[in-house]
Order: sequence, then C-alpha cells, then structure tokens
Amino acid sequence: MKTIGLISANYSSSMFGGLLDNRSLASLPYGGRYRLIDFALSNMANSGITTVGVISPYDSGSLIDHIGVGAPWGLDRKNGGMFIMPGSAYGLQSAGSRFLLRDIIKNRIFFDRDDADYVIMAGSSDVWNIDFRPLIEQHSKSNKPITMVYKKVPRGEDYIGYFLDIDEFGSVTEITDEGYAWANYFADCFIIDREYLIDFIGWFDTLEYMDMIQIIKNNMGIIDIDTFEFKGYLGKIKNTTDFLKVSQAMTDYDIRNEVFCNDERPIYTKAQDEAPVFHLPDADVRNSVVSAGCTIEGRVENSIIFRSVNIAKGAVVKNSIIMMHGDIGEGAVLDNVIADKYVKISDGVKIYGGDREPVVIGKNKSL
Amino acid sequence: MKKKKCIAMLLAGGQGSRLGRLTTNIAKPAVSFGGKYRIVDFGLSNCANSGIDTVGILVQYKPLVLNKYVGTGESWDLAVEDGGVHILPPYAGEKGGEWYEGTADAIYHNLDFIDMYDPENVLILSGDHIYKMDYNLMLQEHINRNADLTVSVIEVPWDEASRFGIMSTDDKDRITKFSEKPKNPDSNLASMGIYIFKWKALRKALLEDHDAEKTSHDFGKDLIPKMLAEKKKLFVYRFEGYWRDVGTVKSYYDSQMDLMDDVENIDVFSGDMKVLSNSNMYPPQFIGPDANVNDSLICNGCTVYGSVKHSIIGSGAVVDAGAVVEDSIVLPNAKIGRNCVVKNAIINEGAVTDDNDTIGGDNEEITVYGRARLSI
Repeated sequence: MKTIGLISANYSSSMFGGLLDNRSLASLPYGGRYRLIDFALSNMANSGITTVGVISPYDSGSLIDHIGVGAPWGLDRKNGGMFIMPGSAYGLQSAGSRFLLRDIIKNRIFFDRDDADYVIMAGSSDVWNIDFRPLIEQHSKSNKPITMVYKKVPRGEDYIGYFLDIDEFGSVTEITDEGYAWANYFADCFIIDREYLIDFIGWFDTLEYMDMIQIIKNNMGIIDIDTFEFKGYLGKIKNTTDFLKVSQAMTDYDIRNEVFCNDERPIYTKAQDEAPVFHLPDADVRNSVVSAGCTIEGRVENSIIFRSVNIAKGAVVKNSIIMMHGDIGEGAVLDNVIADKYVKISDGVKIYGGDREPVVIGKNKSL
Repeated sequence: MKKKKCIAMLLAGGQGSRLGRLTTNIAKPAVSFGGKYRIVDFGLSNCANSGIDTVGILVQYKPLVLNKYVGTGESWDLAVEDGGVHILPPYAGEKGGEWYEGTADAIYHNLDFIDMYDPENVLILSGDHIYKMDYNLMLQEHINRNADLTVSVIEVPWDEASRFGIMSTDDKDRITKFSEKPKNPDSNLASMGIYIFKWKALRKALLEDHDAEKTSHDFGKDLIPKMLAEKKKLFVYRFEGYWRDVGTVKSYYDSQMDLMDDVENIDVFSGDMKVLSNSNMYPPQFIGPDANVNDSLICNGCTVYGSVKHSIIGSGAVVDAGAVVEDSIVLPNAKIGRNCVVKNAIINEGAVTDDNDTIGGDNEEITVYGRARLSI
C-alpha cells in the first residue's frame, strides 16, 4: 500500500491585508517559528510518506527558501523525497482553488511514473496534526476510488469552503458550499487511487481551469466517494481574523499538546538556531508563545512572538502577532495587531485593532 | 585531495568526574549548557566560524549522546565534502586495541587519520571550554612566526596563576618555561589547552613520546616540556576575551549564569561569531497565564506556569504551577513539579521533581538534582 503525497501550495487570498503581498498562503509565518506548509509536510512525513510533491505558488521565493530540499521533514532522500513542481498562473477566479486540475495535469509525471497505490492530496494552509495511516488503512479497504477527510464543525457561518452530505454508509451524497450546524467540513485533503487519478485527468482534461473538488461536485452521479472523519483540532485560516484566532489557539493547553507537543508526531520546520529568550528583570509575559532569540523587557499578553523580536521596557503587546525581527520601542502599545517581519514600532506609538479586525502592519514598515 | 592548512582535533574523551552526577551517563562535552547548547557547541562553532572545516572528535567515555548530537556536523555547517566532522573512538589494529591513555596518546592513535588529510598544521582543542575565538588569528600568528607550536594563553589574575599551567615568555612571546600549577609563578599567562602544532613537529613528538619510558602521554605534562627542552620554536598566542574551563560544578554553574549576567563578555545573542547547536525540533516556549518570568533565559519547547527568577530553563523543560525556580539551571526536558521550590540548584536533564519538593536552598553550594534521563 504505497502512498505518495501531493501538496498544493498554488493558491492565494485577498483576505490577508497585505500579509500575502510577497508570499503564498503556504509560507505565511505561523505560531512563532513555523510556516503554514509545515503542517502538511510534517503530517506526510510523520505518516511514513517519503515521496512528496509540492506544487509551488506563483510567488514561490519565500516558500522555496523555507522548504529547501525538504531536509527538516526527512525528504532530502535518494529514493523518493521532495519534488518541487511548477504551479500554473491561476486567474483571479481560481485564486483560492486548492486543487486546480491544470496544476495536476501539468505535473502528471510525478504520479505517472511512480508505482504507488494511492496519492494523498492536501492543501497547505491548515493547522492540524493528522496521522494519515488510519486514512490509508481505511481507504485500502474501501471499494471507492476517493476518500475525503472532513471535520464536524459547530457553525457553518465561520467556515468558507466545501461541506459534505454523507449517507449512513459514510459515502458522500452531495458536496455543497454552505454548511449548517455540525456540518461535515471538508478538510482540503483526500486520498485517491493513483490509477483513478490518471483516468480522472483524462476524462476531465477540458475542464482544466476548474478545481478538482468542483468537478467532483458536479459529477457526483458518476464518482463514488468515501469519507474519513478527523476528530482533532483543525485550524482553518482564511483571513486575518482567523489567523489571529488560530495563532492564539497555541496558548490552549489541549491544542498545544495535541498539535505542537506531540512526541509521536512533531511538527518540523526549518531550524534557525537562535539563542534562548532573554526575559529581562522587568519583563512580564503572560499566556503567550515566544520563540527563540527574543529579548523581552516589556509586557506581553495573549500574543505570539516570533524569533529575534525585541520588546523594550514599558512596551505592552496584547492579543497580537509580532513576526520575526520586530522591534517594539519603549512605551509602545499594540493591541490586536499583526506585525509582519522586520516591523519597527517607535517609542510611545500606540496602535489598537479590533479582535474581529486586527490591524496589519506590512513587512519592513516603521511606525 | 586538497591539502589542508589546518585541521582540528577536539579532545572529548574524558569522564569529567568533577561534574559528579552531571556526567554519570554522558561525556562532559555533551553536557547541556545555557539551556539549548551542549558544551561542545562552543568548540565546533569556533571551528566553523574560523573556516576550519575538518574536525576529528576523540571520544572514549560514554559517547552515545555526543555521537548522536554531533552527527555529520551539519548543524555547524561542517558537513562538507573533502573534510567534515569525524567521530574518532579507540579502535583495534593488527596487535589488538588500546584505550586512549592520555591527551597526546589519543592523538597518537589517530596518526593515520591526520595523515589522511596530511595538513600543514593541527589545532588541538578541549571539548569542555566556554569561549568564542577566531582560531584563524592564532593560526596566522603561528604561520608568520614559523612556530613548531603555538599555545593560546590568557592573562589571569596573579593570585590565581598557581592554579593554571603557566607559560613564561621572552619579549618576543617565545616560550621560555612551562610550569604546571607553580607555587611562585613568574608569569600570569595561563595555557588555555588550545595548541596549534606544525603537523611534522607534532608527528615526530608523538612517535617519540609513545616510545618514551616515563611519560603520561599528556600534552601539558610531557609533550610541551619535551619540545621546550629540545629548543623547538614554541610561542604563545595572547587571547583576550571570555574563556572558562567548566570542569567543576561551580564553574559550570557560574559560566552559565554569565550568559545572563556578563553578556558583554560572553554574548550568545548577537550574530557575531554565532554559537550554533543541533537544536531539536521544539515548538516556541509557552508562558502561562499566571507565570512570572524575570531575568532568565527560557528555551524553545519550555512550558512555564510557575515563577522563574534569575535562572535558565532548558529546551523542553516544564515549570509547573506554583513552582518557584530561583538562581537555578533546569536542564533540557526536566520537569519541576507543582509548588516545588528550587534554589541554587541544577536539575539534571530529563529529571522530574515531585510536587511540593524543596531542592537546594540558600547555602552557596550548588545542588545537583536527579540522574540524567537522556533520549537520543
């Protein structure tokens, strides 16, 4: 039951107030030291998948800089390993498309020449820690060519994406754009028989401008789909509000233990090797996540501080995200702010955002 | 193969028995330092920062953690073609095998290794010193003087000179006398245990030392006095900066506290001569809602619910709710139980303290708690 992985990183969003101006969603810094794609890559690696293709985004610089040749995920290998593949130029209409058929057709050599039984296809912007082995196991016993992964979510309105109607046998009867209370939310991840995938792109090659899920949705009558429920934490990040919320989830004891401090399945990322965090005598850090290399003299609350950030005396950082190399001056106050890399906040500057609408400060800005 | 100007041999085989429980199941160079580092990081990082890309690490005492930690040397950018890091344990030959009997003997047993690279010079390092040094400056002086041996020295206070190996020199820094722990020192230049030998001169001295009748096969006790007696060209290189031998619990503790208290002299924070490590994949630290952390170094992977003051909390360690850690060093992956009070103590790697326990106290003596539970 050989399985290979195909991660799509070729999609973007206009809902991030400048955070994605020069980077893909897949390479958005997250949680103090990660990039969003780390979760997809780590999930594959931790599930014993050693051949992983990454469809790279148009703005691929930051992503390629981060994933390199896949060494942190053990994918720097002779047999298999990581394959970085070109993505197509998506139009405005397909900007958010996870599984654009054109990208898959363009890179068909990746699964054409492999002898794997299955391909796990996944997006690259979800925060989750999933063991794919039970999914592979279940799928191998199923007589259906595709198994979609979903999570039951309490309220439809907070989620943008696809929802699955599932019958009593666990088969998908319909895919919809809207979900209701305790809907089955599609986790941007499915497993498909490799040979079926080859057939699929042959049948539908005239629809190459569409998302695979959209094609499946329109052809439910002829495609049999099984389902697999994921019961763990699924952090969906579709806009800046989500981003702040899912980032702060790291301060939740259970989520931290399940996703980040999981001895069996650690989340790997590019190592930067910074010094320990220096909490100076006046520092006051509460309920926050702080990454290596920071020097903290001020107050930090409910925040995520990336590596090598300085927070000066008397500064207050609350409910905020400060990315790498931020420099927060004396007496500055930040509340509900997302500061991109290398942001410099001068002494005494005060910035307040709302929890449903955090203020985003662009990369390299000085205020 | 390209001829090397200088390769390094790092002595990492000693037991370090004066560190007591800290080295019961781990070689001294592999002992945790400053929360996220291991002692050997300083020597390896210095090599990397000095452009020395070939390092032999001589291991003997409980080397498993050290071997795994050093790996291919990749973490120090030393995993290079035509060089790199080599772990060198004692090995058997046609006439059986022998343990390393002393510092010089360890190098003697690896003559073949050094010959493989056939370098012009060999840098001998100890795996248990804390310092940041550009060996290239020393090498340059060594080459300019056409020295057979250059010994790196540091000025120590006169009243402490009798604790060190002291080099007396002429006005051109040529060594005239070497005295091990002299009662009445006539110089305050202490040997740092860092030597650069011309390989030809070292090779000859090692072969002669091996055949000598009365020798302890030690660089300081035997080789250097012998070369001095033979009127070889021995010079000192004057190092200025922070340098500590962390051979005792007290010096090991003090030097780590210096990372916070003496940042001007031993700076692991700035990018200058960066100290690199093979850091594990931990998430960033989490400081809890009721935690209180001041004047401390906290590493990735830590979870702090209690209070931490003037202390170092190593990677992946946990300080549970109500616990108070003061003037202490909690080594990686240790766990301080609820309401524990830890003062003037070192908690061993992976050790777990019971809830409500009191460890250490106000006395000056540093308590070392627990036996290291290491996972590699």
